[in-house]
Amino acid sequence: MNLIVRITILFVFVSLVVFLIGGTISYKVMMREVEYEQQRFLIERLERMERRLERRPPRNPKKWTKLSVTPLEGRREEVRIFSDTLVMHSQLDRLETHLKLEAIKNVHGKSYLISLYDIIIEPDDIRDGLVESLAKMYLILLGSVLIVGFGASYYILRPFNLTLSIIRKFSLKDTDQKVYFPKSKVAEFKRLNQFLTEMTEKVQSDYRSLKEFSENASHEFQTPIAVIQSKLEVLMDGENISEEQMEQLHYIQNAMHRLSSLSNSLALLTKIENKEFVNVKKLKVSQLLAGQIEELRELFELKKISTDIQLKEGVELEVDKILLEVMFTNLINNAIRHNWENGQVRIELSSEYFKVSNTGPELLMAPDDLFERFKKSNQSSKSMGLGLAIVKKICDHYGFESSYSKKDELHTIQITFEPLKRRS
Amino acid sequence: MKLLLVEDQSELARSIKNYFLAEGDICEVAPSFQRATEKLYAFQYDIILLDLMLPDGDGLTLLKDVKSLWPETGVLIISAKNALDDKLKGLELGADDYLPKPFHLAELNARSKAVYRRRKAGGQKSLSFNEIKIDLESREAFVNEAQIELTRKEYDLLHYILINQKRLLTKQAIAEHLWGDYMDTADSFDFVYQHIKNVRKKIVEAGGRDYIKTVYGVGYKLKEEE
Repeated sequence: MNLIVRITILFVFVSLVVFLIGGTISYKVMMREVEYEQQRFLIERLERMERRLERRPPRNPKKWTKLSVTPLEGRREEVRIFSDTLVMHSQLDRLETHLKLEAIKNVHGKSYLISLYDIIIEPDDIRDGLVESLAKMYLILLGSVLIVGFGASYYILRPFNLTLSIIRKFSLKDTDQKVYFPKSKVAEFKRLNQFLTEMTEKVQSDYRSLKEFSENASHEFQTPIAVIQSKLEVLMDGENISEEQMEQLHYIQNAMHRLSSLSNSLALLTKIENKEFVNVKKLKVSQLLAGQIEELRELFELKKISTDIQLKEGVELEVDKILLEVMFTNLINNAIRHNWENGQVRIELSSEYFKVSNTGPELLMAPDDLFERFKKSNQSSKSMGLGLAIVKKICDHYGFESSYSKKDELHTIQITFEPLKRRS
Repeated sequence: MKLLLVEDQSELARSIKNYFLAEGDICEVAPSFQRATEKLYAFQYDIILLDLMLPDGDGLTLLKDVKSLWPETGVLIISAKNALDDKLKGLELGADDYLPKPFHLAELNARSKAVYRRRKAGGQKSLSFNEIKIDLESREAFVNEAQIELTRKEYDLLHYILINQKRLLTKQAIAEHLWGDYMDTADSFDFVYQHIKNVRKKIVEAGGRDYIKTVYGVGYKLKEEE
């Protein structure tokens, strides 16, 4: 529910309460005024009657419409008493509450009871009139609130909505693009836009430096590693090195090699994350994959792994070639590395998916962790645990789906291209 | 072979220079863009080993200069910038090869020699060690002038060993040379052993002597029989 709707509903509700209370108050006030007027009217008529009594005092009770005079026995105190009475209304033909005035008047030493009643406005009419006018006013109010709420607010809030849509489109991918927010005369929006401009610039510059750092760090690592590597080689090539020393040097060399590939892999992950692979072309996947399998053929043979390869002809994908190669290489390499001697590898490519299955030792971790960074089934193994994380990152990048399953002693990793194909 | 090494990391430059000097090549070092340009104007080089990140300029600019002013000089980029973009850009601008840091000196040697051979029409056509010989153009191997059948990888291995004669070639350097990034160290050592075994066998079967010595199980070295 958006802000305007909420405010409008609240306003409509509050004004309803105000109208109810206000209606009751108006009714009370009007009734008071009406009663006061009625009393004055009756008193006026009473006084006219009194003057008439003084001129011509009647001997017998006398009756007019809404007025009667009755001579009383003995002498009484002069009083005036107002009361309500139900009388048949002359035109409406029903009982209505009338105001009644009874007075005792002494004229020439004789007491008379004067009784008169009348009605100017019926309370019903006042109530009905009030309800009707208030209801109409309420409807007008409701109408204007809705018009203002949804119509005028569109114009008033337009700068805000523009800002919102700009923020929604904001992506760290194009960090060089400056973000412009619309100018607004409203102080709050001005402040908001200014704040957002500063914030996006800050975020962009932070992101840029982080990105540069990640990449530079990986490059900067390579230079000292290259120095160490070259010195190691010189050392190992020297005379008078004992077997034990040679072994130690060999371990150092291996560790350096791992350090170097680790930093390369992290750089690759960063580059995918930074969306730097934009060289997207329509690729003949079947041919590319066949070529890659050919390159790795020897590795299968050396480990005596039997292969079952089914590649559908003419499969095409619109992706970056380097990333696709990295993905295939990592997956097939995995299938070889985590395999038995004399094991089995099945590779299948269709226009919907790529599937690689292999025999091999049981997974020692939850399948869900398989694609996480630095998760290794065998912690002591020499693999770095980044291969599948890179595969996952590439899948995320292109909206592919990666999944692991195990059936009949075969570990299978499937990459589904489906989402991409639907888009293109 | 006369090389100009453009590298600001002095220790790395020294190792590389010594390696080439021991090979009998001439190798001069320029630690900056400026020094490299001066040397290029003054002397003639066969190959430039070019680091892309120089303290006073971009190596790619230097590459462009070399290509336009000294087109007969080969360029091999050695860079810590493993960025694939730079690699492609470098090769597009006419670099002959690209070797990311860190590398094995033996690999740098092999690549430089390959560039040299490709560039020089009258360059070396064969490599030999006693009775073992390989023809670099037809990619054939001979023992006592009789051809032996080697697979592509076995030929590459023998080539690598012959080009880095009397040097220790660690299993890792060989694995990287043969398979590049495709393989992890864990498995590759066994594979290297398999290939070495096959090459040895084929040489011995053809009447050659086994010069490929195992060095403490760490690597191999081509050595005269003692």
